[in-house]
Amino acid sequence: MVLLQILEPGESPDLTATRSIAVGIDLGTTNSLIAQFDGTQVRVFEDESGQPSLPSVVHYGAESTQVGGAALALANEQPENTIASAKRMLGRARQDVADDPYANLTTDGALAFATDQGNKTPVEVSAAILDALKIRAEGHLESPIAGAVITVPAYFDDAQRQATRQAAELAGIKVLRLLNEPTAAAVAYGLEEQAEESSLLAVYDLGGGTFDISILRMRAGLFEVLATGGDSALGGDDFDREIARYAMTELGITDPTPRQRRTLLSLARHAKQTLSESSEVQIDGSALGSDVPPLSLTRHTLETLIEPYIERTLVACRQALNDAGVESVDRVVLVGGSTRTPAVAQAVAGCFGQTPLCILDPDQVVAMGAARQADILIGNRSDNDALLLDVIPLSLGLETYGGLAERIIDRNSTIPIARAQEFTTARDGQTGLVVHVVQGERERVADCRSLARFELNGIPPMVAGAARIEVTFRVDADGILEVSAVEQQTGARSEVVVKPAFGLDERDITDMLKASYEFAAEDMVARKLAEAGVEAEALLEGLRVAMAQDGDLLERDEAQTLDEGMARLEEVLQQADADAIRDNTEKLGRASETFAARRMDRSIQSALQGISVGQLDAESS
Amino acid sequence: MWLWRELHGLTVSATAGAAARDYFSLFNVEPSFTIDETVLEQVYHSLLSQFHPDRYAGKPQVEQRVAAQLCADINAGYRTLLGEVTRAQYLLQHSGVDLRAAEREGVGADFLMTQILLRERLESIAESDPASRQALVRDVDEHYGASRERFAEAAQSASWRDAARYWQEMCYLEKLVDATGSRGR
Repeated sequence: MVLLQILEPGESPDLTATRSIAVGIDLGTTNSLIAQFDGTQVRVFEDESGQPSLPSVVHYGAESTQVGGAALALANEQPENTIASAKRMLGRARQDVADDPYANLTTDGALAFATDQGNKTPVEVSAAILDALKIRAEGHLESPIAGAVITVPAYFDDAQRQATRQAAELAGIKVLRLLNEPTAAAVAYGLEEQAEESSLLAVYDLGGGTFDISILRMRAGLFEVLATGGDSALGGDDFDREIARYAMTELGITDPTPRQRRTLLSLARHAKQTLSESSEVQIDGSALGSDVPPLSLTRHTLETLIEPYIERTLVACRQALNDAGVESVDRVVLVGGSTRTPAVAQAVAGCFGQTPLCILDPDQVVAMGAARQADILIGNRSDNDALLLDVIPLSLGLETYGGLAERIIDRNSTIPIARAQEFTTARDGQTGLVVHVVQGERERVADCRSLARFELNGIPPMVAGAARIEVTFRVDADGILEVSAVEQQTGARSEVVVKPAFGLDERDITDMLKASYEFAAEDMVARKLAEAGVEAEALLEGLRVAMAQDGDLLERDEAQTLDEGMARLEEVLQQADADAIRDNTEKLGRASETFAARRMDRSIQSALQGISVGQLDAESS
Repeated sequence: MWLWRELHGLTVSATAGAAARDYFSLFNVEPSFTIDETVLEQVYHSLLSQFHPDRYAGKPQVEQRVAAQLCADINAGYRTLLGEVTRAQYLLQHSGVDLRAAEREGVGADFLMTQILLRERLESIAESDPASRQALVRDVDEHYGASRERFAEAAQSASWRDAARYWQEMCYLEKLVDATGSRGR
């Protein structure tokens, strides 16, 4: 919340002091970053040694927990306690990850990694990374952050998005918005401001271990994901392995020790990076053994070695263009450190017939875009800024008779959105039914992804087709789904917030929050109290302004109820009781909902008047 | 324990339990099948840019919630009014037509026959025969256009019973268009 400043007459407001601090976070598979837009430029926060990216690795040792480079350093020593690439497991159910290469996955209960500190879920691992980033940013800013925009891959489904939000909650970060990674990259380049007409954009993202291609359509702030594709096991690490393999052959190393293998990989990475700038590099063999000679590697050889991998990315690009139903795009943006390899950029240029945008650091571009958007959302810029509208990537529907999927909300629907469909019973005397919520474009339920399943009971026995069951799907601005079913005659009702199959519910989260603050119980009390206070103050201030402006929308008794609620909340605020403050805030919030809705209806009227006047002007000129 | 689908969707308000919002008045257009899509889009963008939850990111939760609900209505309304079949259906509901009764009455026998023949043609076309597929798509489009014209006329003259029949024809034909795969998805 922006604090109000009281000014002496003639004094001009100090803009820097009122700037609320919101950050952008790129929570990556291999590396994560945190950045802030300070009003003129984006600043990516570095660690003490000047490294902007934090390896997305967490080490849960018997003694202590390490995050980032320190954790990575322990990966070889204690692989079972060191978790890398947890993002791949985020929001996944056990059956989704049957053959993934994690040695220490638990075999029952919620999907987790077994460590010396007990079972750690992917949500907790991600929370540890987010927490480390938050501490880093707050250290630089010398101030707490008010909120964050966190990026997620465009193909992330509801479950994966929920899991990301839960990780943020666990780390004590208020999520302003989850933003698609390719959209963030486009925002970093300011492309949303240029797109008056509809234009097509490809975002080519080749990281260390993953490759993503997204085709987007942009129009007036609307980013529509037309197609996504890629390979979750393809990236710059493959280049390193190819170079290492080549070096082994050339140097006659047949059976490397684990130590030699690691050294080879790090020499290979270094050689690859050098070849982005020069045409030849000497690999120092002495690090592998005293009698190992140096080896020369040319850029040409490197390109031959990695050519098959690049070709695989191009196949995915062509497939994505095909899926999107377009032949070409207007712009291409490069994301991910591996796009620094000149052969990659050239191949992309060839594939899309144009020079890709790569002025911004490809490792940082996603975090930079997220930071810009966070700054807008926290309210530091005017309302005329482009609005980023997200769409749901896959259709949502439910299972009907015969195992067919009935779509309720089509893919590419702008969110938030609510849609309902009426259904009836298929059999005589049917008193209950299963609502099976699925995601996907295919006609058969078996080919779609199952999101949730719940029952509606208490339907009075009737002949088939007589019951009227209204099923409503609601998707919020973050793409999170809520489904309800109501039988119209009896009012029998059942609903579910699509709690993804990865199975963390509110209680789990609360337990984890408690556990993470076990040794800092006082901190937690203080934090809860502060959060409750901020929300209460915001509501009180908002209501005061609203009642002054639109008090005429309230009946006398309604105004009285609100006045009383406000007085009570102010009273409770004086006591340091977080639960009481929260309860009263919640009550007053509910009580003022109708008022808020009426005020919004009033502003719809004025918004519409503005438009019709504008149109008349346009027509008469 | 299965659901049986019905032809029509429902218009609901994003606020659970609240009466459905009138999309025509939300978008400030006359209740009619003929809508200027440019105006619709303009209104849509201006409503969204004012009421999107992002505009309320720093506001009290009650305002965020109400804005999110309103925005869900705006998005659902835009999609409903933008699509011809959904707009036709909404106009019928708006005019008090009982869609369930209309569905029971169904479409004419002639139309059903045409529909069955078109379906059979679709099933007999081989993957390797794009020319026949194209010809079929053209024919389906033509039938759809005719049903749409009939709907527009019936709606214009408030002959709702006829209009409801033509709307169902549009539904069938739209499904057929989807099945031919000629519409990008």
